Order: sequence, then C-alpha cells, then structure tokens
Amino acid sequence: MSKDVLVFIECKEGTVRKASLELLSKGKEITEKFSSYLYAVVIGYQIKGIAEGLKSFSDKVIAVDNESLKDYRWDTYMTVLEQLIKKYTPGMVFGASTITGKDMFPRLAARLNGAIISDAVGIDLDGENVRIKKPLFGGKIISWVVCKPGSTSLISFRPNSFSIEKRSLNGELIEETVEAPRDSRLNILSIDKSGSKKVDIQEADFIICGGRGMKGPENFQILEEIADIMGGRVGASRAVVDSKWREYDDQVGKSGKTVSPKLYIGCGVSGALHHTMGMDTSKVIVAINKDPNAPIFQYADYGIVDDLFNILPFLKEELKRAKEEI
Amino acid sequence: MNIIVFIKQVADTEARILIKSDKKSLEIENKYNMNFFDEFAVEEAIRIKEKFKDSLITVCTYGTKKAIEALRTAIAMGVDRAFLLDNTNLDNDDPLIIAKILSSFAKKEGFDLILCGRQAIDDENANVGAMVAEFLNIPHISAILKLEVIDDKKVKAESELEGGREVIEAQLPALFTTQKGLNEPRVPLITGVMKAMKAVIPAIDPCSLGIVKEDIDTKASKITVLSYEPPQSRPPVKVIDGETPEEKVKSLVKALKEEAKAL
Ligand SMILES: Cc1cc2nc3c(=O)[nH]c(=O)nc-3n(C[C@H](O)[C@H](O)[C@H](O)COP(=O)(O)OP(=O)(O)OC[C@H]3O[C@@H](n4cnc5c(N)ncnc54)[C@H](O)[C@@H]3O)c2cc1C
Ligand SMILES: Nc1ncnc2c1ncn2[C@@H]1O[C@H](COP(=O)(O)O)[C@@H](O)[C@H]1O
Repeated sequence: MSKDVLVFIECKEGTVRKASLELLSKGKEITEKFSSYLYAVVIGYQIKGIAEGLKSFSDKVIAVDNESLKDYRWDTYMTVLEQLIKKYTPGMVFGASTITGKDMFPRLAARLNGAIISDAVGIDLDGENVRIKKPLFGGKIISWVVCKPGSTSLISFRPNSFSIEKRSLNGELIEETVEAPRDSRLNILSIDKSGSKKVDIQEADFIICGGRGMKGPENFQILEEIADIMGGRVGASRAVVDSKWREYDDQVGKSGKTVSPKLYIGCGVSGALHHTMGMDTSKVIVAINKDPNAPIFQYADYGIVDDLFNILPFLKEELKRAKEEI
Repeated sequence: MNIIVFIKQVADTEARILIKSDKKSLEIENKYNMNFFDEFAVEEAIRIKEKFKDSLITVCTYGTKKAIEALRTAIAMGVDRAFLLDNTNLDNDDPLIIAKILSSFAKKEGFDLILCGRQAIDDENANVGAMVAEFLNIPHISAILKLEVIDDKKVKAESELEGGREVIEAQLPALFTTQKGLNEPRVPLITGVMKAMKAVIPAIDPCSLGIVKEDIDTKASKITVLSYEPPQSRPPVKVIDGETPEEKVKSLVKALKEEAKAL
C-alpha cells in the first residue's frame, strides 16, 4: 500500500470548507515525510475554480465535474471516490467528520473492505507508523489507534483539529470523468439549504452558547449579534433546545454537536457533563454565570461571576471594538 | 412489515472509566444503558407497528451476555423479540466486523426496514448503520428527523443536511439511522417490564450465521488500539475581577487578546 494521502474535499457555497483545508495541511506534512503524493479530490458541478485554488495546497488535484454531481448524495459521490481510490491507490483517505463525511465514509469503507477510524482529532507520525488520536466516551478517554498495514485506511477528522498552513505548491490538475449512476431506490424530493449561509457550528472558530440562564428565546438576539461580529455561531444547551427556544442544529453536547472552536463563551450554561462532553476540546473557554459554583467553571479558562444580562451588552461593545482594531 | 432494530449497550455517561496500568484496557464502572440514539430507533419501530399492526419488531445486539439487559429494556418498551449475538471469545470492536456480523443476522432473519442509532455514545463512530446497509446492498438514510412509512414498499424520510434539511423517498428494504428530534422515546410501563423480565432471549454464536470465524475474530480487525490515555487536564479557571460589569468585560477582553491570543 502506498503512503499517498487522498483528501476528499467538501465545498460549501462555492468555496472549499475550512475543514478540508486543514486536512490538506496535515496531509502535506505526512506526504512530505514519506516523500509521497498528496491528492485533493473535488467532486461537484462547475468546480473548475475551486480545483484551481486547491493546486497550491496539493501535489495533484483530481476534479470530477458533472451536472449530476451538483448536490451531494452518498450513492453518486461514493461511487466516484471508490473508483478514484482504486485507480490512484492511496494508503490513506482523509475526510472531515461532518454530516457528509459521517454519511459516506463508513459506507465507502465497507465497500472497499477497508479500515475506518471516525471522528479523530489528531495524528502522530512516529517512524513508519501513523498513529491516530481519537477521543472516546465523550472525551473522557483518549485512544491512539493504528490501521492494519496493507489496508486502505479511511479516517475522518473533527473540524478544527488541525491548523491551516498556506502553501505555494503548484499541483497538477487532473480532470477525471467517472460514471456515477444514481441509486434508483432513492429519490430526493426536496432540499432546503436555508441555513447554509451560516457558518457550520462544527467548523466555527467562535461559538457563544446560551443556556437556560438566558431566560427566553427573545434574549438570544444579543448572542446572534455577538456571533455576527465575531463571524461565528450561536450554540445552545439541551435545556434550551428542549424548551424550543432554539433549533436542534444549535445543540452542543453529547446528544448534539461536538464542537472545538478557538473561543467558546457559555452564558447561563451550568456545564453539566453532557454539555461539556461536546465542547471541552475548545481552545479557550469562557463562562459567564451568576453562580460561582456552577460546574462550567471547572472547564473554563476564564470566568465572570455575574448576571449575564449585565455583562452581555458590554461584551458586545468590547468585542466589536477588539474586532475593529484588527 | 418486518423491522429489525440494532441496539448497543454502552457505558452510562456518568460511569467512571479507569485506564488500567497496561494502558491498553479500560475498567468501566458497572453502569450501562441502551445507547441514547438507539432509543429513538426502538421508539420509531414501535410507532410503525402501531400503524401497521401485523409488523414484527426484532431487536438485536452484538455484545456480551450483559447486553441482554439492554435488549430487555427494548422488550419493556414494546418490541416483539430480541436476540443476542454473543461476542464471547470474539472480542472485537472494529466497525467493519460488527457490521458484517449484524448484516449476516439481518440476511438470515429477513427484513423490510432496519433502524440503527445515529452513533454509539461510547465509541462515537457513527459507522455501523451505513456499513450494514452497504453489506446488505440496500439504501440508507442517515440521522433522520422524520419517517413516514407509506406502504410496505415505500417510505419518506427527512434528514439533516449541512445547513438544512432534505426529504427523500426510499424504496424498501432500506436502513435508517435515528437521531434526537425524531420522536420522544416512551418510558416502559410496569406491564412491559414484567414481560421483559420473563422474555427468553436467545444467545446466538455469530459463527452460526454463515460467517467464518477467521473473518471476525480479533486478528481480523483492521484497527488496533495501541494505548489509552486521560485527556489533558485544564488549568484552573481565572475568575475575572472588577467592580462593575463593564470593568469585568474590559479585563476579560484584554486577557483574551493579550494572554490567550483568542481574538
Ligand atoms: C442522555 C442525556 C444527553 C444529554 N445531552 C445533552 C447535550 O447534548 N447538550 C446539553 O447541553 N445537555 C445535554 N443533556 C442535559 C444536561 O445534563 C443538562 O441538563 C443541560 O445541559 C442543562 O442545560 P443548562 O446549563 O442550559 O441549564 P441549567 O442546568 O438549568 O443551568 C442554567 C445556568 O444558568 C445560570 N443562570 C441563571 N440565570 C442567570 C443569569 N441571569 N445570569 C447568569 N447565569 C444565570 C445558573 O446559575 C445555571 O448554572 C443531556 C442529558 C442526558 C440525560
Ligand atoms: N455491537 C452492536 N450491536 C448492535 N448494534 C450496534 C452495535 N454497535 C453499533 N450498533 C448500531 O450502530 C449504531 C452506530 O454505532 P457506532 O457506529 O458504533 O457509532 C448504534 O447506534 C447501533 O444502532
């Protein structure tokens, strides 16, 4: 099995997702060490521009451009990837552990009879070994896992696991035409992408999360404003989602989304274990809570003990100022 | 309608988990539950049966004898029958192998519809559902929020997309993974609990499903855990002082900028 790395690129609104660039950055580090190739595979419709842009990040960009691939479906995308993997025989295939990645990678692994590691957060290169870091039990345990030598390894990584390094490679662009018939047993009746303008919560660098202490749905407006200033997203605790103040898409925690932004601010969130399991890999955690004994302070880097309604208006102003200074 | 629900017994989120001194195995406190997301699958199956009365719901898990407890919970909720695929001497947590075993079971039993949880909250993989579907060569739809069974040939499902939703019509047989929001799992009634206690739950040797032992034993695993370690602990919180809310916020933003470099 080769030491080549193939990255499945995800796009959104005509641009490459940050999570995919992270994987290319890490992939390059690996292929440099093994003197092997880094492939970026981009599948879709009218993706020429995207493919061009990927040349600086990879040795070879493989573009499969076809109208029937306009929207992601596991049946078509997986068939394309399967054929590319068989043709280019990478030892490792990376993808992001997003809704798309979680839908397609396991099925592809089964089809290729390959090794699969999902929702990983790190890689360690020691000698010939590539050790994968994967949290278990909501982050209570970290495991280090390896794939059996000789098997195609499919690994999906949580967004925000690696930093993006700008490169100035000049990869070769390869356009492939691959037959990808649709599975006739599935028929998509409608697609609603109304939320796709927003940053994906798992990819966001900044999350301000409201808990029951926010008192009601109307008070989330100021969190929205702060998130907009920071180019981030509003999150919510389960208590908030269960009260129907926010959508389930916003839920952070064990039964919601696992996030690891650069900065997480919890407002009126108590920090129950089920919640912290979904956010404790955030780089910097701030908690605003009027109860000094709230468990969230055990996870936070910085804490403000006060009524959040007094704090938030100033926080909005100060963050705005800080942003304008940059 | 023939429905199979695959469930997993997992450590409770509150259970204490210790890493043994060899760093290669874990000691898990004796607190286990049915996987959180699998409860939605069991509930959905029961709701389908309420509509299509002549349905048969089968739950199945691959695990230790202890996992029979989770199967009993499903019976208490209202499923018809349960099977344990006994993993004694086959200790293996490669999702590829688990999916091979589960799909062999499904092939043997026959089915119109299969339900799995979106992901297990212990390994957090979200793998097994789609892999089972691939081995059975049937379509799958992940993380559904709505399921409408039209007849025994066709269903309509709504699932989450990046930043949105999609509605898909699927021909049966098909597999669906369930997530929170699909339904509210019922709490078993006492009569259900009594029935579950008395239920006979067969333990099946996976090798009796037409699988070769060499394909599913520990050596067949394509992934190996080298070691376990505790997560990095965080330094204690710095509580921001200040006379007024405004002062506190100013100090916080300063610290985020200069010290934490988070802005
Ligand atoms: C199986 C299972 C899965 C779960 N999954 C999740 C999950 O994915 N995500 C999740 O979040 N939870 C989850 N939970 C629920 C979790 O255990 C907690 O119940 C929930 O996180 C509590 O939400 P909260 O912090 O918003 O509310 P509370 O615990 O009620 O906390 C509110 C906090 O707000 C503070 N507060 C109140 N007023 C003010 C004010 N004016 N100013 C400042 N602070 C104020 C209070 O001091 C308190 O600390 C799960 C539970 C179970 C059993
Ligand atoms: N050992 C198992 N036995 C039965 N079902 C399982 C098993 N492992 C996983 N599943 C099913 O597959 C889903 C996803 O699991 P996982 O891929 O481990 O996250 C679970 O919610 C279960 O429905």
